[in-house]
Amino acid sequence: MLEEALEHLVRGIVENSDDVHVRARRLRKGKVLEVRVHPDDLGKVIGRNGRTAKALRTVVGSLAGGRYVRVDLLDLHEVR
Amino acid sequence: MSNSNTEKAEDTAGSVAVAEVPEQAGADESGLDIEALEREGDIAADYIEGLLDIADFDGDIDMDVEGDRAMVSVVGATLDELIGEKGEVLEALQELTRLAVHRSTGNRSRLMLDVGGYRESRRKTLSRIGAEAAAEAKKSGEVKPLAPMTPFERKVVHDAVAAAGLRSESEGEEPNRYVVVHPMD
Repeated sequence: MLEEALEHLVRGIVENSDDVHVRARRLRKGKVLEVRVHPDDLGKVIGRNGRTAKALRTVVGSLAGGRYVRVDLLDLHEVR
Repeated sequence: MSNSNTEKAEDTAGSVAVAEVPEQAGADESGLDIEALEREGDIAADYIEGLLDIADFDGDIDMDVEGDRAMVSVVGATLDELIGEKGEVLEALQELTRLAVHRSTGNRSRLMLDVGGYRESRRKTLSRIGAEAAAEAKKSGEVKPLAPMTPFERKVVHDAVAAAGLRSESEGEEPNRYVVVHPMD
């Protein structure tokens, strides 16, 4: 549910919504949601002083109900 | 960064709407474009409804135009996850919703989002806090600083202080910005 919710929230605010992909990876103490967006949209999902990134983390963190969830915002082509 | 787009939209949003469509049915004499605000509400409602569906939350969406802003309220069900401590999740969700509106319309939005009547009840509490602080400053003749608040909360307090005939200002930096009530000089 968290991946889907995050994908919905991000798709609604970027220009290239088809390029938004969210992947979940398990961590020992929780999980990481990797959000990949079109390079032109990266600034938009981060926002001025990271405001938008913070807003996304706040909402996702609340939906996770206390479980640890990290949200990483990446360029579509970034390899990890 | 792409914020430069937002900056430009901020600068021109109001004047463009008024200048280009002065005679359209949607824009009344005050320059308020009700149709545009209703459209904002529609976009916001779709965005929030999508989230409710995914999270499997019950809750209906009410749309309204309040003053010069679109107002979207999620009502019914237990929605604490969408409000958060001191309304921080609600503020975050409102910010994202405004961005979603901006993406669709190209105009910066001042839309208000409410969940479970949180803003309404908070507004009452804050009006009381503002009125009490004003009364105290009037009586003591000293400036009265209040606790840090969100922009929405400070606005309500400023209004309550002004209604009591006193002056107030915001000081400090976000997120610790707070209202200071000044006694009559």
